[in-house]
Amino acid sequence: MAATKDTSEAPAAKAPAGSLIDPQALMAIKNLEMRAQIVVQGFWNGIHRSPYHGFSVEFTEYRQYVPGDDTRYLDWKLYARSDRAYIKKFEDETNLRCHLIVDNSKSMDFGTVGYTKAEYANTLAATLAQFLFQQGDGVGALTFDDQIREYLPARNRTGHLRHLMLALERPAGGSETNLRLPLQRIAQIVRKRGMMVIISDLLAPLEDLERDLIALTACGHEVMIFQIYDPVEMTLNLEHSSIYLDVETDQELYIDPDFARKSYLKKFAEHNEAVAAICNKLGVGLHLYQSERPLELALFDFMRDRAERVKKAKGGSGTRK
Amino acid sequence: MSFLAPLFLLGGAAIAAPILFHLIRRTSKEKQPFSSLMFLQPSPPRVTKRSRLENLLLLLLRCAVLALLALGFARPFIPKPVEVSNDPNAGRKIVVMVDASASMKREGIWGQARERVGDVLAGVGRADRVALYVFDRTVRRLVSFEQWSQRSEGQRISLAEEQLAGVSPSWAGTRLGNALISAVEALEEADSEDSAAQWGGAREIVLVSDLQDGADLDAIQAYEWPEGVGLRVEPIKAAKSTNAGLQLVAERSDGPRSQEGQGPRVRISNAADSQREQFQVGWVSGDSSDFLGSAADAYVPPGQSRVVQLPKAPSGVKDARIRLTGDDETFDNTVWRVEPKAQTVPVFYLGSESETDLEQPLFYLKRAFQESKLEKIEVVARPAETPVAEVDLERSRLVVAARALVGGEAATLKAFAQRGGTVLVLLKSADDAAVIGALTGGAFPKTEEAKVSQYAMLGEIDFEHPLFAPFADPRFSDFTKIRFWKRRKLDFEALADARVIARFDDDDPAVTEISLGQGMLLVLSAGWHPADSVLARSSKFVPLMYALLENSGAIRAQVSQVSVGDEIAIDAGPGGKPVRIVKPDGATVEVGAGVKFADTDQPGVYTTMVGEATRQFAVNLAPGESRTAAIDVEDLPVRGASVSAPELTPEQSEARKRLLLKSQLESQQKLWRWLVIAALLALIAESFVAGRLTRPAAG
Repeated sequence: MAATKDTSEAPAAKAPAGSLIDPQALMAIKNLEMRAQIVVQGFWNGIHRSPYHGFSVEFTEYRQYVPGDDTRYLDWKLYARSDRAYIKKFEDETNLRCHLIVDNSKSMDFGTVGYTKAEYANTLAATLAQFLFQQGDGVGALTFDDQIREYLPARNRTGHLRHLMLALERPAGGSETNLRLPLQRIAQIVRKRGMMVIISDLLAPLEDLERDLIALTACGHEVMIFQIYDPVEMTLNLEHSSIYLDVETDQELYIDPDFARKSYLKKFAEHNEAVAAICNKLGVGLHLYQSERPLELALFDFMRDRAERVKKAKGGSGTRK
Repeated sequence: MSFLAPLFLLGGAAIAAPILFHLIRRTSKEKQPFSSLMFLQPSPPRVTKRSRLENLLLLLLRCAVLALLALGFARPFIPKPVEVSNDPNAGRKIVVMVDASASMKREGIWGQARERVGDVLAGVGRADRVALYVFDRTVRRLVSFEQWSQRSEGQRISLAEEQLAGVSPSWAGTRLGNALISAVEALEEADSEDSAAQWGGAREIVLVSDLQDGADLDAIQAYEWPEGVGLRVEPIKAAKSTNAGLQLVAERSDGPRSQEGQGPRVRISNAADSQREQFQVGWVSGDSSDFLGSAADAYVPPGQSRVVQLPKAPSGVKDARIRLTGDDETFDNTVWRVEPKAQTVPVFYLGSESETDLEQPLFYLKRAFQESKLEKIEVVARPAETPVAEVDLERSRLVVAARALVGGEAATLKAFAQRGGTVLVLLKSADDAAVIGALTGGAFPKTEEAKVSQYAMLGEIDFEHPLFAPFADPRFSDFTKIRFWKRRKLDFEALADARVIARFDDDDPAVTEISLGQGMLLVLSAGWHPADSVLARSSKFVPLMYALLENSGAIRAQVSQVSVGDEIAIDAGPGGKPVRIVKPDGATVEVGAGVKFADTDQPGVYTTMVGEATRQFAVNLAPGESRTAAIDVEDLPVRGASVSAPELTPEQSEARKRLLLKSQLESQQKLWRWLVIAALLALIAESFVAGRLTRPAAG
């Protein structure tokens, strides 16, 4: 089972910081697809220097043929074009179907770093989609708030990525967070085993979370959660006391940050611990993300998580089907 | 340091407010959105600890502003040791104002007024000081505070009474407002001159007057009556109340002549408290009470007025005047009137043409001037055969020269212009320019007939010059319809005094002014007759000619009504000889030229004599003096003045003295001003600092 990791504080990947793209600069680019391309491009560029090189088992990779390799995996078409022998690695094994489940509730429409959590989440989803699509995996998306907003099944067709980007680009305008409905629905719709990546702040009561995640994992889906927080949400570093308005419930409260911080952080930590406990129990990969964190690291986390799962699967029940 | 109003220092407690506001953490009324409040509890407003006081400089500045303002309002002063007399009888200062206007001439009134003044003076204490004034249009001082103090106690009242005995009511109107202000000023002046020992006494004005309705109170309407000055009114009541006044209705000097046998119109005003309503008005001779001819009956209800048309003054009667009968008071029943004499103003035209020749300028000049009630302008044509002589020009102010000068004419006209006359040179041909040379002493402008293609117009006109000033309004300033077929081109460069008033559209001078002594020479470069231009037939010609006459001084506005005390400007005529004026009582006054005659102290006919010429004007009583109904004392627009000054106990007097001393010191030092300036500076600094602090937050 995959371990749950809080990757919010220390950089998960030991990639050189200089090679990472500053999310502030990245978010200044309007086009979501371009943002995703840039991150994925950066990831590919960085991966050669990355200590995680070779961890990925599921993406398509060409490797030069060396004597002893199974000639079944030679890419003859490429050989015909370039007169060079390359091994097409694991192509048949990587027909992954990944669903990106993105929270578009109002609480995601909050941000103090120049962009909102929703923008960050959408970019993260787009990045993953771009990355997986490039590998030839099928990518689907589901956006939700208190109900399902958009749904695209996992495919790897020409033009599908474009539809996906458009679906992710629609502005967040929903109401409160309700994970239950989308998780139940996706469990019903997606029959084939695949991967479910939930991108949300999980700022909702946790009573049903465990049951809904069980519904997914029971279907054999691999579940990974990217929990997105704004830096202020994690520290309550608000400038001054004021009346604060809950964007989801319209509740108003007079808050003195200095006064309220201690109890907030306590409850916040409790909430996150509860989430982590559920994930740990169900073998769901949990990654806590501040919206200031470079997006390439999400790719590293994604890949490492996958690699570990594969490793465990191999060690446990033999080869994957 | 002491304070005049120490209670204002309590305002300094307001300093607590900014301190408290700085202690309370800044809360914003704006609602801040937050993703989820599920982990938050409402927090109570919190006062920060002393060590957490934010923006100390700002706090200090805010406190300083409040402290300085409180200090300023408390009116601080630095006390100086001054001995204050403990004498409870430090004394009042009393100004007695006695009305001596024409309405006080009513029967028995002046006697009553003097008695009342005597009563007031008898009630004056040993330490009190009194000044005595009389007033009508002007205010005259009879006894000053100083004179009063210098006399021994027994002599003081007799001094005032003696002075008052030498005064009788004048014929002038009542300016009560001015008189009261003068009285207050006298008191304030006395206060400023007083030594410390004399501070603190009550200040009082005693007004002895009939308070007639016609008294002018305008001046005091906007006056802020000073604190602590009491006004006591001693009203004088007339034994009989019926009084009607007579006033000439103003006549228009430029109006048409009245119908044959019709005289002036008079307004009869009946006082509001009159008992009778039926009056007669008519002409009388001198002081006689018998009417000449029939008198007009007038029914005038109390408080109203009626206008009555009178017949013409009977001819051959010396000293005719208009009189009203039927009321009790006679002081305002006579009106003098001088029949306006049509003044003949000769204008000389030097030219040989016939008066009936339509093609010549003279024809138009003669018809430009209309005869009015006061002026008859006579255009006298002088051909070369009968040159104009010095004696002809004595009464004239304007000469139009449209031919070459002959004989001694040049010298005569030059002398005429030097005295202040105006010579208009009309250039019918280029040769006429010789006149300019002859008058300016040889400098002869080069002149030639100008070449005019089609026509010329006036291009640039100096509308500030009196000649064109009547046309300055844009509605009248269009001269483009006046076309000139022929004109002369002059070169005035040689003449230093020449000033071009109007130019043709090709920049050549059209009207030029050359000063000559006190008078002037005007040069018109084209004639107004049809051969030269359409000027004479345009609507501008007549106003232009009248402007020329007025500018030369031949006609002037006449004052139709003069009241007693008014100043009149007397025309001394050319040469500025002194003017002798014979007053109605036969006294003779001489005034210099240009000095206004102000000695109109009695009603009647005044005669002015300038050389041999005599002229008359009538001076009448101010109309307000006839409105003799008394005003209610309560209606006096003297805000804040007690009708009678309260009597003070010795303790009160002592306290008042100390207070006055303090306020005197405070008003001398005026420390509050500096404090307010300092507060303003602190406020500016506060705004600056606050601006600096909020800017980064806003960004």
